[in-house]
Amino acid sequence: MSADSAMVDVVNVSKSYSSSNGAVPALDGISFSAEKGEFVSIIGPSGCGKSTLIKIIGDLVQPSQGTVRVAGHTSRDARQQGMFSFVFQNPVLLPWRRVIDNVRLPLEILGRHSRDPAHLLEMVGLTGFETRYPKELSGGMQQRAALARALTFDPQVLLMDEPFGAVDELTRDSLNSQLLEIWQKIRVTVLLITHSVSEAVFLSDRVIVLSRRPGTIREILEVPFTRTREKSLKETPSFQEVVKFLRERLE
Amino acid sequence: MRTILVPATTLLMLLFCWQVAGRVFHFNRVILPSPVEIASAFAKDYARLFRETGITMEESVLGFILGAGGAYLLAVSFVYSRIIQEAVYPYAVALKSTPLIAIAPLLVLWFGNGILSKIVMSALVAFFPVLVNSANGLTSVDPDALDLMKSLSASSWQVLTKIRIPNSLSYLLAGLKIASSMAVVGAVIGEFTGATEGIGHLINTSSYYLETPLMFAGVAMISLGGILFFGLMAYLEKKIVFWKQSQ
Repeated sequence: MSADSAMVDVVNVSKSYSSSNGAVPALDGISFSAEKGEFVSIIGPSGCGKSTLIKIIGDLVQPSQGTVRVAGHTSRDARQQGMFSFVFQNPVLLPWRRVIDNVRLPLEILGRHSRDPAHLLEMVGLTGFETRYPKELSGGMQQRAALARALTFDPQVLLMDEPFGAVDELTRDSLNSQLLEIWQKIRVTVLLITHSVSEAVFLSDRVIVLSRRPGTIREILEVPFTRTREKSLKETPSFQEVVKFLRERLE
Repeated sequence: MRTILVPATTLLMLLFCWQVAGRVFHFNRVILPSPVEIASAFAKDYARLFRETGITMEESVLGFILGAGGAYLLAVSFVYSRIIQEAVYPYAVALKSTPLIAIAPLLVLWFGNGILSKIVMSALVAFFPVLVNSANGLTSVDPDALDLMKSLSASSWQVLTKIRIPNSLSYLLAGLKIASSMAVVGAVIGEFTGATEGIGHLINTSSYYLETPLMFAGVAMISLGGILFFGLMAYLEKKIVFWKQSQ
């Protein structure tokens, strides 16, 4: 059905929720795929079902129709093999665990020793905070710890659900740069949900635009900029033009 | 230091006014003995007061452990079985605010006037606040944390031990604070109803013989016992649920 190199293959996925007024459609006939090591962002108006979509891909929510294949596995098998890693809008750090023990949590659960938690904390710039508790960290630092936790067990697909939606603009920019840097080192496949068009363009190889509820694919855009991207890219006219084009497609 | 000194000063001033008012207005010592008379009753009978208070505290603590322990285990079983929860929980909520002490005479009838009936009374009144709080704490878990665990295919045992139980601790300790005070009340009520020893029995008999200063000394002793018990729970809360404290 799609190329062999596809890491994530979403085929005709629909989802509707039952309510007292009958079925409410949330997603309608979504199909796309992401290559191994590709960075794909999904943007759409609020309530378009983008969070639902990423949860369906990660097998946290069952689709009403359609299938998701991950490196040839069903999404359930992929989840059970620990191929997915989620980063949520909230860092979801356990307040009773030290930062390093939070980062270690997936290893405890999966019984793996893929990556050294201390090394990952270094990668996200949190060296020296290993033995602190989450409440002692700022929001941006907490989200960096969550990113380190998401990578400890060497997942195949990183599923990020508006991970930087709760932090301020400046923090967001620096988290974006940091995410790119890390992604360039480890080349995991990333699916990122965001409502920031410029964030999507800056980070991604491709941007998928969803329509209003029920969410359908409106546009799949190859981002025309080469790697490696510098922060200054955001100020260039060609970048602004791509952002403007996508904003119009969002309307 | 200040948080102790200020209320302690209030107490001293109250005792002083009480003593002076007693002298000036010549209170009947059977109705309201002066602090000095109460203190001398204490000095005379302190061994007995300590012994009886000890018995009541023993009943309270045993009942508390039994009631709170049983309640927590039942709350954990709710996580695994919806049926148990649906069958039991509404009654637990209702009984949480029911004056269970009304059944004290029944318990004395069933379990005799030894310490067993008091332990059961304490256990019963400690049970419901702990059950309701623990059930809340075990279930009101951040849904994102559950999604995180599910994305890692965590077993239900892992979810219980790594998320639900730690999350329940702050709720549990809040419940234990309520239960510690309730347990002492339960034991004393049990002793009022029918007993041969314990501080409730001492208060009852000294009322019968109009030994009001000893009554007051007994009340002061068991208040102190209750406060220490509660204080221990408050201390444990601070130590165990350290992440809930302000920075």
